[in-house]
Amino acid sequence: MSPLHRRSFLAASGCAAASVSQAHLLANSDSPPALRGKADSVISIWLGGGMSQIDTFDPKAKGDPAEKKAGGYYDPIDTAVNGVQVCQHLPRLANLMDRVTAVRSVHHEVIDEHAAATNRMHTGRPISGTVTYPSLGSIVAHELGNSDAGVPPYVLIGYPNVTRGPGFLGAADGYLYLTDTSQGPAGLSRPSDISSRRQARRQKFLQSIATRDNGTSARSLRDYELAIEESLRLSGPEFSSVFQLDDESADLRNQYGGEFGQRCLLSRRLVERGVRFVEVSHNLNFLNGAGWDVHNSGIVQQHKLIEELDAAVATLITDLESRKRLDRTLIVITTEFGRPPEFDSGGGRGHQGSAFTCVLAGGGLNHQGAWGQTDELSKKIVSDPVSVPDFFATICAATGIDPHKNLYDGDRPVPITDGGRPIRTLFS
Amino acid sequence: MRRSCSIFVALCCCSIFLPVVCGQSVVARWDFGTEEPAPVTMHGEVAKDIPGPRPPEFPDFAEDNTAIKLNGSGYLSIADPGTASDFDFANGDSIALEAWVRLDSPRDGQLMYVIGKGRTNSPRFARDNQNWALRVISSKGTARLSFLFATPPAPGQQHWHRWTSQTGFPVETGWHHIAVSYTFGEPQSIIGWIDGRPTKGDWDMGGATESTPVVDDDDIWIGSSLGGSSSNSFRGSLDSIAIHRAPLTQDYVTAQFNRVGGPQVVEPQPAVMPDVKGVPNNGVVVTLSGGFPNDSRWPLTSEAWPEESARLQVPQFLLHRVPAHFDDWGIRSSWDAPVLVRMAGDVTLPVGEQEFLIRVRSLSRLWVDGVLVAQTPAARRRSGNLEPIVPIPVPPVADGRVVGFVQQETTGTYEVTPVAGEASRSCRVVFEFLVGGSGQRTESGEVCVALQDGDWYRLLSPDTRSALPLLNHTVATALAEIEHRVTIFEDFTRRTAAASMSPFWDQRHQIARDWVIENSPDHTRQSDVSSENIDALIRKKIHQASQAAAKHDAATTEHFHQKVLPVLRDQCFRCHGEKSRGGLRLNSRDNVLKSGDSEIPAVVPGDPDRSEMVARIRAGDMPPTEEGLASEDVALLEEWIRSGAPWPAQAPPEHLTRLAPVIDDAAFIRRASLDTTGTLPSAAEVTAFLSNSDDRRRERLVDRLLADPGLADHWVSFWMDLLAENPTLLNQSLNSTGPFRWFLYDALRDGKAIDRMVTELILLRGSPHEGGSAGFGLAAENDAPMAAKAHILASAFLGVEMQCARCHDSPYHSTTQADLYATAAMLNRKPLAPPRTSRVPDAFFESKGRESLIQVSLPLGTAVTPAWPFAAVTGVSDDDEIRKLMLDPDDSRERLAALITSPGNQRFAQVIVNHLWKRLMGAGLVEPVDDWEGHPPSHPEILNYLARELIIHDYDVRHILRLIMNSRAYQGEAIGQNLEAPPDKRFFNAPDARRMTAEQVVDSLFMAAGQSIDVEELTFVHDGSHAIGKRLTLGKPRRAWMFASLNNERDRPSLSLPRAQPIVDVLEAFGWSGSRQMPIAVRESDPNVLQPGILANGTLTQTLTRASAGSALAELALEATEPSALLDQLFLRFLSRLPTDAETARFLPALSAGFQSRVVNGDIASSLPVEPALPQVTWTNHLVPEANEIQLDWQKRVLRGPPPDNRLQPDWREVYEDIVWSLVNHRDFVWIP
Repeated sequence: MSPLHRRSFLAASGCAAASVSQAHLLANSDSPPALRGKADSVISIWLGGGMSQIDTFDPKAKGDPAEKKAGGYYDPIDTAVNGVQVCQHLPRLANLMDRVTAVRSVHHEVIDEHAAATNRMHTGRPISGTVTYPSLGSIVAHELGNSDAGVPPYVLIGYPNVTRGPGFLGAADGYLYLTDTSQGPAGLSRPSDISSRRQARRQKFLQSIATRDNGTSARSLRDYELAIEESLRLSGPEFSSVFQLDDESADLRNQYGGEFGQRCLLSRRLVERGVRFVEVSHNLNFLNGAGWDVHNSGIVQQHKLIEELDAAVATLITDLESRKRLDRTLIVITTEFGRPPEFDSGGGRGHQGSAFTCVLAGGGLNHQGAWGQTDELSKKIVSDPVSVPDFFATICAATGIDPHKNLYDGDRPVPITDGGRPIRTLFS
Repeated sequence: MRRSCSIFVALCCCSIFLPVVCGQSVVARWDFGTEEPAPVTMHGEVAKDIPGPRPPEFPDFAEDNTAIKLNGSGYLSIADPGTASDFDFANGDSIALEAWVRLDSPRDGQLMYVIGKGRTNSPRFARDNQNWALRVISSKGTARLSFLFATPPAPGQQHWHRWTSQTGFPVETGWHHIAVSYTFGEPQSIIGWIDGRPTKGDWDMGGATESTPVVDDDDIWIGSSLGGSSSNSFRGSLDSIAIHRAPLTQDYVTAQFNRVGGPQVVEPQPAVMPDVKGVPNNGVVVTLSGGFPNDSRWPLTSEAWPEESARLQVPQFLLHRVPAHFDDWGIRSSWDAPVLVRMAGDVTLPVGEQEFLIRVRSLSRLWVDGVLVAQTPAARRRSGNLEPIVPIPVPPVADGRVVGFVQQETTGTYEVTPVAGEASRSCRVVFEFLVGGSGQRTESGEVCVALQDGDWYRLLSPDTRSALPLLNHTVATALAEIEHRVTIFEDFTRRTAAASMSPFWDQRHQIARDWVIENSPDHTRQSDVSSENIDALIRKKIHQASQAAAKHDAATTEHFHQKVLPVLRDQCFRCHGEKSRGGLRLNSRDNVLKSGDSEIPAVVPGDPDRSEMVARIRAGDMPPTEEGLASEDVALLEEWIRSGAPWPAQAPPEHLTRLAPVIDDAAFIRRASLDTTGTLPSAAEVTAFLSNSDDRRRERLVDRLLADPGLADHWVSFWMDLLAENPTLLNQSLNSTGPFRWFLYDALRDGKAIDRMVTELILLRGSPHEGGSAGFGLAAENDAPMAAKAHILASAFLGVEMQCARCHDSPYHSTTQADLYATAAMLNRKPLAPPRTSRVPDAFFESKGRESLIQVSLPLGTAVTPAWPFAAVTGVSDDDEIRKLMLDPDDSRERLAALITSPGNQRFAQVIVNHLWKRLMGAGLVEPVDDWEGHPPSHPEILNYLARELIIHDYDVRHILRLIMNSRAYQGEAIGQNLEAPPDKRFFNAPDARRMTAEQVVDSLFMAAGQSIDVEELTFVHDGSHAIGKRLTLGKPRRAWMFASLNNERDRPSLSLPRAQPIVDVLEAFGWSGSRQMPIAVRESDPNVLQPGILANGTLTQTLTRASAGSALAELALEATEPSALLDQLFLRFLSRLPTDAETARFLPALSAGFQSRVVNGDIASSLPVEPALPQVTWTNHLVPEANEIQLDWQKRVLRGPPPDNRLQPDWREVYEDIVWSLVNHRDFVWIP
């Protein structure tokens, strides 16, 4: 049986054994008609360490670390959306909240392990002892594929990590990565000290070498030769130009800000070129040591991180909008978990998975400014809870992907999300 | 790690342990003898069989009385039998607790649980559920008693109640008896005793209370609480713990404490230079003694120095690491830390005052001729992640070796007095220091003793030739030699220990040979070169296939194979092909004419209406899919049946059957080297082989390669993949294991038989975190680790795939969930119930309209008992015969190992040889290699023959490799298409084309470029400040297999490994993964753009293809006499062949241009890098912002790479480098010929 045929066979037989997380399995039969958005690419900003929702997008009355009084660390400010406030260090995004939905009721049960929470927020499901799940980026790459032949569908701007990888989908749906916007992705950017002249000479030499079998070879060898050609093309001037941030105006580059802002700018250039999913990592721990993981004194400089995020994301939104791409580009901000309103002994905050905020912007959604409500301390969800699968389903639906579709780990059907249901309001 | 181990508890029914006086009140007592009447669960580090109170000091105890010892990282637990148990005490009940304790050096204020019930942090109970507890608190050298319980929380009331004794006993003064007695609800009833004397105390927290305490069913813990928190854990020895349900009397307690000789007076032992025996004439002896009593001070008068457990010899007073420790089977285990290391030698010193420099991590003493010359204190504990960055000192001389990260250094002087007017004389020098200890790794760091010499120092050595100046390059040379000696020492130690098991394995292999003789009398032990059998069997199958070809006309044959068979194969064979669901198979004409369970023939030739198959298809219940079979396919099948259901044989296409030509010698040596040592042959090896005219040169080459230690470096990767070796450097994550790579590597390096390696793997021995096979037993974040391991073992060694069986019975296999858990229970040594999270919820089935393909036959919560479910598939059953193969026939884990590796297990030997065959031929005789059900072998006779050969040759895989490599089949051109062919069309007329593995690519790059891997040590702990179980150290990689996942999920530059990353990038592009969350039987090998991309543009290739300063490629260019000879060398190095005439014509002009003037008057020294050393980043300082800068600086340096050799004219050098680049980037570099 051809693999293709076998897959359709399995899909039809509906022997979904993928998830053992209860309840969701029942949800599909009575689902309302599928929701489909029209975004064709995703820029996913990852805040490693765990963004404190109460200090950013879900502000509450201020507390006092010295007095051990629970509450926010900063003052809230009003935004473009009536009744929706954000913290004082997000002034630029505040003006754009009509293009944004801060989903304030995301939750999971992972508390104290960064790797596990990172995994949950990249794969959208609890780990399984028998399956390595693909990341959302790989799922989108798998489902949307290349928009135009020859552009990698999934680019990671951050350190490589198995959690961000393709899991059972296999290397074809993996990422290209880079950790420095002044360099291209590892493997596809020609070293700076190799001139075009040298590169041409190298390729001439390469063509001068005989193949062992005079071209009578098996398909796998011919495929490898095609891959050589393709990699030479991708590392050539055409695709490499996408990494030339110097082409942008100095003014725009300044608006985006430092290295993180430049990453966002590069993401915009990548999605314009047809990349489907860009993950941008924002946790270089230069500003406050711990990045978003603001235990103890890490919180003292937390506002610098928030301000950097504010400038970069606000610029990204307006930049995409001015280029008429905002409706087709879904911006997502996700994080490991949130942080509790209480302060730890060092004046910082611990971890809180039971209620935290992830953010959606652009992508043609019917934005609300905020969605879901927490109590007066941002500790408990009081309305419209959004599970991680629901949040993933919302992203999928926004990009036209059926969140219930089965992918296959060998024989085993695995739905794209673990029974997630998109937030309907954003699609009306 | 959770280990279950039964030790020595006697519940009240066991009268032999009952005290005489008020024995009826004792409800439980633990004497920690060697007998084990009832199980107690042991957690973490618990040392058994430690000497307890003994005569003559304590005459009431037995001479061999034993106790347990805890180091703050372990405890014991005992389950509460349930409600109203003897461990439940409510108001009015009296409790008395007593114990013998011996405290090591606790930290000031350390609170140590002796025994308590509740407060375990179990999720089943409130966290503050202390039923009762006896602790000791150490303060300023005195230990006091502390009795603690909680009452149910009530508003406005304190619910903790703590009583602390007023008097105590001095710590580190041997054994003491403690007791406390209390009647709940009567605060005044409390009384404590120390060494038989009563002590008063105070209710100093929560006050006295008449309220009733918390009573629940939480566990009783000995030695800790709060989930095992080290700040509440006991550090010292414990013996004779008892719980009474009555108040104790003074007479009883007095009788318990009988000590002869009064209280111990404890003071440090006098400092005396140790008398080290057997000091060699011209070297430094290093002695190692585990089990030192304390990690921060020298022994007290009450303590003994540990026995020497190992010694080796080195040239200088220089050492960079403690050798690995091996258990009595030669499997890596842990040192009993702290380890006392002594280095001793007789050094000739000049007369006069001499200054000595010592560098060491922690406590040390340097002695010269009995005089204490220098010493260092115990190291300060580093913690957190904000320790300051330690700057690199600037040495007063160029290239001076400076003190290593977190090492201490100090100097001392000694006056060498003249003897008989000589200018120098021999002095005995002894340097002793401690390594490791509680919470610290057993890592020494770079340790040395040096002697002042002018402005700087020389390494101290008894051999003047080895007394090298203390410079970076000389120390590097000396350390390479010392590492070599330590490796030899480790090999010797390990092999000596392993030899103790040789008689057992000799006997097992005799049984195995006898088994073959008995069961396969035709299979005689032949000469090693019986590869002809393989070739004969291959020719036989090809011949038979041509014979059977088409008796039908071509049109019928084509119609059947193009139209009819695909429908049957796609729609029916999944269940009715090699498998026979419903008792029916549809994969041959004979089979379709039979009846399944329905008792009606599936096909009646000529009559579709009477054919059950057609009836079921028409009824829509077959195939069991929503849409059924397309109507045109139904029509096709009906027409086929109507025409008589012909099943014509098809002539195999010629490209599958024509024997491939044999490859030439150049290709052969490349192929054979890659398949054995995993790297390219050197240019010299290729040249020698090409000029060898010996008729048996290929056989001889194979023999040499199979004896090369590189064989282990190549094959270990395969086993790491197959067995899901998955160590993580940062936090444990999904299915993290220990680094049992070292166990596998040692086994391969020592040429262990495969049945022995597998047995020792399954027995999970040695240290889980330091490379023992116990590391295989770990699976982090997995709800059923033993089920995960059972799955791995079954697929790797039996070809039984049970992934689905984890949560439900397999839909496409015959295995059930019970089978998997029965195997897991054998590993577990006790019954095992599938966890709720590994089960398809019942709701899933309720939502299904039709019968589900999957079934859960095991009721929730059923504990599956250990059992062997593979008798049918393997041919070996769990009967008394198997006892002959075992050391302990009652151990279910060993039983599992014996059943898997038994000679009667047909499957095991076949699966092993199939793995080997696939690796060498590019396709297995059975495919897939890890899932044999329903997948018959293409050549059953070859499979059987090789399996018997494996058994009869003592399970030595090298024998099988030799057989295959000497066959014509292996030596054919790689034009086979076996992998894609079904078994009946898989002829092995040629091997399949294989791309190099990722490791082969990397190792070959280094080999061809003449360089060695030089990256940072793979760890985030460079200061020893985390126990090895918390964060691993995987050492400095020497070969590609030694790398690991560099996951940096925190995205912190300070947690990147910039030097390793470029190599890992290449490895990952070519299909290697350091995260083996699941077993990898076959790696992904599809070409993708990143593979050529990373070779063309990646940092590793940039570095290795450069004629960098002093590199092998630069030297090659400098030494060349003719451009054509240089070109030949490059081709030999990178492609293992000489250039063709056409290639020479293309390349030679480029290389010749400027050849004569290529050498310029450069100076190698000035072209060497002069970058300053960067401070060390490690976990304990990684949140200091400078740590990011340092690692990013490293990244820049790595990207920049080494400077070019300035003795070469730049324009010519670049042409030369570009030729090298093109050789690396050619397809034939990464494809095995």
